[in-house]
Amino acid sequence: MEVISLDIHQSFGKRLRKQLPLQIFVWLGLLFLLLFSLIPMAGVIIAFKDYNIKTGFGGMFTAPFIGLKHFGSFINDRKFGELMRNTVGLSALKLVFSFPLPIMFAVMITEMRGSAYKRLVQTASYLPHFISWTIVAGILHAFFSTGTGLVNELLLAWGWIEKPLPILISADYYYGLALFSEIWKEMGWNAIIYMAAMAGIDPSLYESAQIDGAGRLKRIWHVTIPCIQGTIAVLLILAIGGLFSANFDQAMLLGNSLNISRSQVIDVYVYKAGLSQERYDYAAAAGLFQSFISLVLVILSNSASRKLTGASLF
Amino acid sequence: MAVNRNAIRRTTEDKVIDTVVFIFVTLVLLVTIYPFYYVVILSLNDGVDALSGGIYLLPRHFTLTNYEQFLSDSKWIDAITVSVAKTLAGTSLTVLFTCMVAYGLSTPGLVGKKVYNIILLICMYFSGGLIPYYLTLRAYGLLNTFWVLVIPTMFSTYYCILAVSFFKELPAELGESARLDGAGEVTIFLRIILPLSKALLATLALFAAVSQWNSWSDTAFFAPANKGLRTLASLMREVITKNQVDVSSKQAMMQSARHSKVTATSVQMAAMIIAVLPIVMVYPFLQRFFVKGIMLGAVKG
Repeated sequence: MEVISLDIHQSFGKRLRKQLPLQIFVWLGLLFLLLFSLIPMAGVIIAFKDYNIKTGFGGMFTAPFIGLKHFGSFINDRKFGELMRNTVGLSALKLVFSFPLPIMFAVMITEMRGSAYKRLVQTASYLPHFISWTIVAGILHAFFSTGTGLVNELLLAWGWIEKPLPILISADYYYGLALFSEIWKEMGWNAIIYMAAMAGIDPSLYESAQIDGAGRLKRIWHVTIPCIQGTIAVLLILAIGGLFSANFDQAMLLGNSLNISRSQVIDVYVYKAGLSQERYDYAAAAGLFQSFISLVLVILSNSASRKLTGASLF
Repeated sequence: MAVNRNAIRRTTEDKVIDTVVFIFVTLVLLVTIYPFYYVVILSLNDGVDALSGGIYLLPRHFTLTNYEQFLSDSKWIDAITVSVAKTLAGTSLTVLFTCMVAYGLSTPGLVGKKVYNIILLICMYFSGGLIPYYLTLRAYGLLNTFWVLVIPTMFSTYYCILAVSFFKELPAELGESARLDGAGEVTIFLRIILPLSKALLATLALFAAVSQWNSWSDTAFFAPANKGLRTLASLMREVITKNQVDVSSKQAMMQSARHSKVTATSVQMAAMIIAVLPIVMVYPFLQRFFVKGIMLGAVKG
């Protein structure tokens, strides 16, 4: 008995036969991907069809083609402008405000001298990432509800406001609420990758900068930041690519009938049109529209980044 | 060494920066931790008494009635049972199945490896979207069954890539000697490879368990008609979204709570603590593994 796999000079069929049990392991995985990933991907074809749910699964492929009609009605829907504004607006706000914060936080953590306090802050800062949005929504309720929320209670007690602020139930507050809760939940987690990049910086760079008379700020600006530029560029590409997709969990949990004009994003609309109103073909078209624009954005930002900074994802 | 030198030569700039950093991170710490603490003290306070506010640091009327109320409600108990079952079944299926596939993929000289990797990447980056996915699950007859909560997440391309890179690090001789002794691949995988991969198994199990425990949308989307399948997370979502738009005044809440000492909000606080508890308990272990995990994801892009 030879080693089964290392000998790559054996013929194709012989190798395959020897590897058969291992190949079966892989095939089972591929079967799973076929059933739960590739077939649903093929099912996206109903976006171009007049699909009737009564015709079942096979109907998805036999239904008559109607071209881009669903896309047309989605774009002409009176909700369309609002959905675009919310989806892109929220992502743009997050890009401007919650993208730089983890970098700042990582710089600060790195500037702290190794201590128990530093580890405590780090450990605490990742925790909210692992808490589900349901819990976050509950916590926000405890702090911002008009009836019993702590923030309203304090502001009223200090006489800063006359009546409770409808933070959770007014469209005017929704963008702020979404931005704040996202930062609260993910800032520490998003900082990890920058901290890891900073940990890999050669200490001699700092030493020679110090010998040249650079203070702390100058060392941060001229050593730390340039050394993590590649990481920043890659994450920025991802963030720009994500401009067209919103945080679905957040929108579902913080959105309600009272702030719907600001909280409804495309993903939520797809869910409602598809699973609640059962307009499957139309909802699939709206979802595909979103995925397509996202893909275009990723490709554009990737090539822009490659030209400008030399860093790219693919 | 470096620390000492800095200590001696601390300039005004150093002091200013250290102070700013200290203030900022302390603020982050408080804003992160206090909300959890606040929910804990509210959950331990008399619900009606809590309506009058003023609870910031310690419960004023300490009581366990919120938890008693919560645990005596069969609706919540059922939800906890489903959550536990789903987390246990889902986690073990995901870890075993994903590792099995990954072990196959990590075989040196595997025939067709390039094609397999391309399929894997396609499935990682593209999806049909919610609606075609829903219709597919419907076609398989999975909707409103327990299996819809565990089978579709049984394999994860991301975990698979993580596992492949782990198995590649294991010395190839391990399997070879067993093969010479005539052991089958399944035996080798279960008896030799898995016992040596405890770190990987722990990492994947923690990731999978946390996402199983936290997910609410699988129940809400794919099993909405089966009330017996409501999980803690999905029931919590129903309660929280209902309470969110409830703008009734304190007086109205006191009225409605006249016959008991709990309010919808105070029981909700207890429910939240129960739901967060498992996560907080595994958190120290999670934390040990995830930085490695996220870095691997980053390298791969």
